Amino acid sequence: MSDEQPSEHSNPPPLGGVRVIDFTWIVAGPTCTRLLGDLGAEVFRVENEQTLDSIRFGRPHPNGFDPPDSSGMFNWLDRNKRSITLNARHPDGLNLIKRLIRVSDVLVENYSSRVLENWGLSFEEQRAENPSIIYVSLSGFGHSGHQRDYSTWGPTAQALSGLTAMSGLPDAPEPAGWGYSYLDHMAGFTAAAAITAALRHRRETGQGQWIDLSQVETGMALTGSATLDFTANGRRYRETGHPPGNRAVWPRTAPHNTYPVAGHDNWLMITCASDDQWQAFCEVSDHPHWRTDRRFTTLPARLRHEDELDELIGSWTAGQDGRQLMQRLQAANVPAGVVQNGVDLVLNDPQMASRDWTVTRDHPVIGPHRTDGLQIRFSRTPAHRDRPGPVLGEANDYVFADLLGLDQAEIAELRANGALG
Amino acid sequence: MGPLHGVRVLDLSDPKGHFGGKLLAGLGADVIKLEPPLGDIGRSYGPFLDDQPGPERSLYWWYYGAGRRSISLDLHSSDGIELLLDLCQTADVVLETCQPGRDRPFDPVALSDHFTDLVVLSLTPFGQTGPWRDFAWTDAVGLALGGPMGSCGYDNIPGTPPIRPTEHHAGHIASYFAATGACAALYERQQSGLGQHLDISMHECMGFTIESSAPWALYEEHPLIRQAGRHAGPQPTEPWQYPTADGRLINIFGMPRSEASWLALVSFIQSHGMGQNLSDLDLLDGRKRQLGLMQPTVALMLADIAEFIAANQAETIYAGAQAAGAAWSIIRSPDEAVEDPHWRSRGFFVDLEHTEFDRSVLVPGAPYILSETPWTHGRRAPLLGEHTAEILCGELGLSDTELGALIAAGVAR
Repeated sequence: MSDEQPSEHSNPPPLGGVRVIDFTWIVAGPTCTRLLGDLGAEVFRVENEQTLDSIRFGRPHPNGFDPPDSSGMFNWLDRNKRSITLNARHPDGLNLIKRLIRVSDVLVENYSSRVLENWGLSFEEQRAENPSIIYVSLSGFGHSGHQRDYSTWGPTAQALSGLTAMSGLPDAPEPAGWGYSYLDHMAGFTAAAAITAALRHRRETGQGQWIDLSQVETGMALTGSATLDFTANGRRYRETGHPPGNRAVWPRTAPHNTYPVAGHDNWLMITCASDDQWQAFCEVSDHPHWRTDRRFTTLPARLRHEDELDELIGSWTAGQDGRQLMQRLQAANVPAGVVQNGVDLVLNDPQMASRDWTVTRDHPVIGPHRTDGLQIRFSRTPAHRDRPGPVLGEANDYVFADLLGLDQAEIAELRANGALG
Repeated sequence: MGPLHGVRVLDLSDPKGHFGGKLLAGLGADVIKLEPPLGDIGRSYGPFLDDQPGPERSLYWWYYGAGRRSISLDLHSSDGIELLLDLCQTADVVLETCQPGRDRPFDPVALSDHFTDLVVLSLTPFGQTGPWRDFAWTDAVGLALGGPMGSCGYDNIPGTPPIRPTEHHAGHIASYFAATGACAALYERQQSGLGQHLDISMHECMGFTIESSAPWALYEEHPLIRQAGRHAGPQPTEPWQYPTADGRLINIFGMPRSEASWLALVSFIQSHGMGQNLSDLDLLDGRKRQLGLMQPTVALMLADIAEFIAANQAETIYAGAQAAGAAWSIIRSPDEAVEDPHWRSRGFFVDLEHTEFDRSVLVPGAPYILSETPWTHGRRAPLLGEHTAEILCGELGLSDTELGALIAAGVAR
């Protein structure tokens, strides 16, 4: 863990000056706004004390369970954001949101497809307040089509898009799928790409717009090879021995699999992308005669004898130290890598350590803690990770008094009538 | 016109960044794919049209290469590098994916220093620095080292390894950061007039795509247990995938949260004459229905639900559960997803003409609908060097003789 201190950058970050109204919750939307915050946007999470984001209760709670501000999950996902508390279903609350829209650039939400419309915040209503607003709706099925009222979580979208079925062992009764909400992250990243593109367009033309995202569509965009094998060749995915476990599909190469190494449940991924890499592998393998074994000399031969190949390699790797083996294979230019989990990334990964992937930050409830890396390193206008996740409502005074110009009596009245809080 | 109309991208990527170049093309940039004289390696990736390999028949390339123009140049020749520099004069963004110590034709940082208004994106497996920066790499090795794979696999089949989801997901993940980084840098450039160099490590991108594995590791140093078809967790949890009467699987993770939705789901199940235990009053309390805590109430609930699913057709279950407000799903293969009319009605799948083969192929389209600057699917994937003459002669002003000499020398194609 590096002790890098929060820094004063000489240049403002790339999205410096961009203000985002953040009506997101759970993981997909907050993934998007975390990235925007890292890139320097001023992000206001709009929360309501009566219907808090369940992630504020999400484990782990590193310093003890004391919601709404003790969740490590929330702090991880919502760093670099501010928090205001307001009830958008209250007419005065809605009015404040409209005033905030007038001085903002982007509004992001990931509710079901009719929620904002029902509040009176459709795109047209937002645009009436601010003609150049960029509005992003991130729902499961999008805001059009006859199933727009269907809803998703990450795993729902993964299943419907085909991604779940494409991960697993060929003979298992069920796919392994994804052990987390991959499409929550990917839909969030997709939204961030669209927003930054739309910001660039707006700076060029002054024109805002509505970006309608469907989480399932973001998943289907990642199945190109398998989808075209169907739409061009008529081949259905399950007809062909899929999913293939850890063997290669496109491109078809061998060896390409996970092999057991010393310790409990430790595995090494070895993939030879060419005959040269296979020859190099044999040199390292203590079985140089495999080089001339006719079962394995060419790729078609290795594919024909893939079961034997995998068994021989697995019996060689078993009991050896995975990281040492990885280093030996890498020294011979063979693509090999141990299977790492999150803890490995934090504690056992010299690459991450060398680039200060984690740094220490402080939080009023959680205390000193690690925060993880920036994904894009800009040479001139660096992104940042200086601000922890927001304590509930910490920006209320800043937004309602400083930004919107309410006096303390007005704020107290709005709080008393249920518009704020 | 897309939001990146007027932006020119030189796309020097290999499969690590193919999806990124595709995203920028879809957003309206003029993306020029620079291919080596033997063609981009993606052209050798299957599946192939009618299962016959060939550089113009790769369906991988048809999808990932779409929307661009192609120019073929040998960047390991001095003439090739000179032409690249000429092209950089006309470009806004360069996307490259070479590892720093591996036969790299040019230094991206030097390029960025020289062309001060250019945005130079280096999307590499581990970034420009560090002990692993030149590791031999494939997408699968990337997913193993990067964390995603460690959360995927089976708890119910002893001795099985973590499972790598197929397709090119390390590339997909990092490509979104490349596209976002490019757009953010272009946005900043509109004000400062200056470009810059972006160092994107795919390894670090994957570190932000492992959901709760990250906070459990960062705060508690606690690894998660991978479990079949559901989230890895700090403890074992209940299964989410259940077989139907017609041999398919339903994922029940999206259980109703509100009481109204729960009662609607129970009523749907009971209308099929099943699920009598679901009327148990304890289950009216949303906390008693919460998955992941191995509660006895949940075991009771899931037993009835499994029985109901086993006795009914997948489409019936899916439609009824969604109508009740439960985010259940059918576990579809990608070909089944194509057939759902909802996506057709949103215009998601689009037809792409490949006149050379007299074929028109349905492909996944825009991952977002932009109301004012729509995603443009644009041209089909280019033939190798299809636009070499158009760009070198038409735009850089080379004569036909000069181009002929470059082709004869193997520098261009």
